[in-house]
Amino acid sequence: MVVRSTSAPDSEPQMVPQANKAGWDFGDATLPFLDNLYNMALRLTRNSEDAEDLIQETYFKAYKYYDKFEEGTNLKAWLFRIMKNSFINGYRKKQNQPPESAFQAIEEVFEAQVSEDAGQIKNPEEEILEQVLDEDIQQALDALRDDYRMVILLVDLEGFSYKEAAEILEVPVGTVMSRLYRGRRMLEKVLLSYARSHGYMRGEEPRRYRSGKEDAAN
Amino acid sequence: MNCKRVREELIFLYDDNEMGQETLIAFQQHMVDCPECAQEVQYTRRLLTIVRQRATRCCAPSDLRQRLVERLRES
Repeated sequence: MVVRSTSAPDSEPQMVPQANKAGWDFGDATLPFLDNLYNMALRLTRNSEDAEDLIQETYFKAYKYYDKFEEGTNLKAWLFRIMKNSFINGYRKKQNQPPESAFQAIEEVFEAQVSEDAGQIKNPEEEILEQVLDEDIQQALDALRDDYRMVILLVDLEGFSYKEAAEILEVPVGTVMSRLYRGRRMLEKVLLSYARSHGYMRGEEPRRYRSGKEDAAN
Repeated sequence: MNCKRVREELIFLYDDNEMGQETLIAFQQHMVDCPECAQEVQYTRRLLTIVRQRATRCCAPSDLRQRLVERLRES
């Protein structure tokens, strides 16, 4: 558990009960969120080594600025905000990601499909969705742009409200809503394409699609 | 309330429990009146359930937890 020792510069470090308590408080308060933070860090950095570095940086910053944390407000959200800033300011810059323009063309196609599909009935897709594999979800999430992925991770995996996600990401609630809409629709497209490919490999097209083809053949 | 607003603006708010009371009542009434939108809502719920329940969640490695505690103690 975390123990903070404070001492006058000219004396031996010693455990002062009061200082000790602050360290214990920090550890007790923040370590229960370690798994949540690590999960997010791993999905943001996409590798365990960087995720561990990001976690350590987050905890050190949180410890350093713990006196700035307003008691009674949301500690989990505060920790996630620190991690988001560390990621954006440090790791994303370091990572050798393709320039945004490389993704742009792919995104434009998705965006066009998303807006085309809005309002269409999705019943056949519901059957297709059942063929999605767990690893498809991971892969589809990883393929999303950082700002879409972050908001989906915060709301769908961590259960933050729109308002909390807005505070963590430091954007208006409306931005959270629009990123969620676009991000989830893109995720849906990717998942459906994975699921369809699994179905074709097994020769099991969803019933309604099969009957559609039979109709066309007749 | 019209279908376009339901499908493009409100559908996720409903599933995320982020809808105000007044809008919620109108939304639920629309679900009764419009089977197509009701089906769309059901589909969206299934999509989100799949993502929420089946996305992998990783636990922090125990040595990271230990290292963190030790390094914080030294700081």
